[in-house]
Amino acid sequence: MDKDEIKSRIKHVIGQVLEKEESDIADDANFVFDLGASSMQSLQLIAAFEEEFSIEMEQEKAMEVQTVAGAVDFVSTYLI
Amino acid sequence: MNYRPLTDLEVSTLKLQGCTANDWSDVAVKENFRTEFVKHTAFYGKVKLGCFGDKTEIGDGPVRRSGLYNTQVHQCEIGDEVLVSDTGLLSNYIIDDHVIILNTDSISVKGESAFGNGTEIEVLNEAGGRELVIFDRLSAQLAYLLVFYRHDPELTRRLKSLIQTAVSPERKAQGRIGAYTKIQHAGVLQNVVIGSHAVISGPQLMEDCSVISNRFAPVRIGEGVIIRKSVILSGSAITDNAFVEKCFVGQGVTIGRQFSAENSAFFANTEVALGEACSIFAGPYTVSHHKSTLLVAGMFSFYNAGSGTNISNHMYKLGPLHQGIVERGSKTGSSSYLLWPCRVGAYSVVVGKHFTNFDTCDFPFSYIVEEKGKSILYPAMNLFTVGTRRDSEKWPARDKRTDPVKHDLISFDWINPYIAGKISNGVRLLGGFTDKVLKTQEHVSFKGIQIPRLLLKTTRKFYELALKVYIGSEVVGKLESETAALSAGRIKMILAAKEGPGRGEWRDLSGMIAPAEAIDQLTMDIKKGDCGTVEQVLDRLQEIHRHYKEYSWNWCSAYFEAETGLKPDQFTRENLLQIVAEWQINAIRLNQMILQDASKEFDLTSHYGYGIDGDEGINALDFETVRGNYEENKFIKNLRAENENIGKRATRLVTLLQTMK
Repeated sequence: MDKDEIKSRIKHVIGQVLEKEESDIADDANFVFDLGASSMQSLQLIAAFEEEFSIEMEQEKAMEVQTVAGAVDFVSTYLI
Repeated sequence: MNYRPLTDLEVSTLKLQGCTANDWSDVAVKENFRTEFVKHTAFYGKVKLGCFGDKTEIGDGPVRRSGLYNTQVHQCEIGDEVLVSDTGLLSNYIIDDHVIILNTDSISVKGESAFGNGTEIEVLNEAGGRELVIFDRLSAQLAYLLVFYRHDPELTRRLKSLIQTAVSPERKAQGRIGAYTKIQHAGVLQNVVIGSHAVISGPQLMEDCSVISNRFAPVRIGEGVIIRKSVILSGSAITDNAFVEKCFVGQGVTIGRQFSAENSAFFANTEVALGEACSIFAGPYTVSHHKSTLLVAGMFSFYNAGSGTNISNHMYKLGPLHQGIVERGSKTGSSSYLLWPCRVGAYSVVVGKHFTNFDTCDFPFSYIVEEKGKSILYPAMNLFTVGTRRDSEKWPARDKRTDPVKHDLISFDWINPYIAGKISNGVRLLGGFTDKVLKTQEHVSFKGIQIPRLLLKTTRKFYELALKVYIGSEVVGKLESETAALSAGRIKMILAAKEGPGRGEWRDLSGMIAPAEAIDQLTMDIKKGDCGTVEQVLDRLQEIHRHYKEYSWNWCSAYFEAETGLKPDQFTRENLLQIVAEWQINAIRLNQMILQDASKEFDLTSHYGYGIDGDEGINALDFETVRGNYEENKFIKNLRAENENIGKRATRLVTLLQTMK
């Protein structure tokens, strides 16, 4: 799976969990400051990424990810 | 005590000093009584007077001589060095030595009174059915049994009977004010007994009350206060125009700043101000500090009510007959709303307005959030927040009870067998939901609340983490308690569970965590008559509380047996090494998660509102000057030090276990 596909699917998941239009989600958007994610939503995002890509991520490391681009990189480490 | 009649010369002198008496032969005095300290005083009925004349400090004012001045005294026994001045009426009282009463309308007993003892208050259910009999030895635990165990009418009948027996000898036609108590600028005090060293300054009305004050823990009653049909225990303070009617006020309780309370019980260290309480059972450490906060028909403990917290217990149907429970350590956010009946699990945070009835008791440490009008449960989310950790550390330090006799029994362990049992239930339930839930479902519904499907696995892991930390810390604590060199034999002995209760279900009896088996045995003994006085019931509760550590180990032992098939005393060296290693990893992991939560207090959103007229640099500087920085924060430093210490403790134990014979 290449990074573009990962990014596209990540934005789709973000759109669903945070109820945002995918087109409104910038690559460098910060989950908290730009997308308004609460701590509960952040956890749901992690769970949703795991489900989307059938992976199990390290919780604490995943919580440290702050941006969409960071999420793409982090998820990629489990896939590529 | 020997008294003598007044001499003719003394009567003449007193008359010259403006004193009158219906019958001077009814006035008896102590041998060394001196007339010069009794002026403009009228005596009615039989009166006994002590010796007066000592200098008496009355606060910031002038030093005065003890004695009676501008006062009416009826049927009273007044001790030595008492100062009563400008008091409209003092009737049917024993006034102990060194009491000061100044500028007070009246202090009297009319008829026979139990002084608030034996009053039935309608706690929890405003419409009645759970009446609590209040009296001066009531504890949170005894009250809990009386109020909550209505499924057992015989127990209720017995308990009420024990309490009535304890209260009835206290009906008296004469009140008492204890030594060194000071009453000033008060309105009407009727049928009130007051212990020693109390400071009663400016209440408007006190009626049918017992104020159990003593030198270790004086009670303070302040200006404008109105108290009726209530019992107030040592070390408490009711001040600043508070209104208290049909209430029990426990030890170290503070009620102030216009708070209004009726038909409510407030147990140890509760602090309430500005808001309103109606028919609440406020267990230890219940806190409500803000205006527009209405607590009604609920049980709380270790609770913090945010401003504007509001609760409804009826919907214009059969009346205010619903009730709710907010378990220990929970909080309700600003302007939150709960619709009774409802039960909020321990250490949970309620945010928003909730119009559905739910029960989350099997999901402690949760967030209960209103989203689009629905109540959503985020299990375990409050496990790793700064607030939970800070609260659990601050409660023992904030125990304001200075009385050596403490009525309420309080277990402070933030995770204990009761909470761990609930966490186990949560693990089981979340596992069950995960097995059955469809991917198309957004939420799982359980007992009136919605749990996000995506979080079922994650939150279950959080609960499992908490259990590992708790169980591990109990084992580590046991091993560390051994001061001699560890040996297989010693370990077997240390880790063996003792005979007795604790292996099964546990309960939270309003602050006291206890095995259900022990409580059930107690209730059976009360019904059989084997526990035949209030003191015996209180002693039994004390005994159960004293054995908490022993019984809680029994719970851990049963947990290990169920999980591994091994009792702790059957553990091998390898088993123990694994438990210590897991405890180290998980305890540090939990603390790391708390540190991560704490870091949010210092992130850029926390800077909003700082550096009012400056740029980003000013903003950061202003923030740091006022709030400090993450690295230097005391809580952060302590938690990091704790993590270091966990590492050291684990290393030490591993070494001991590896070298053990």
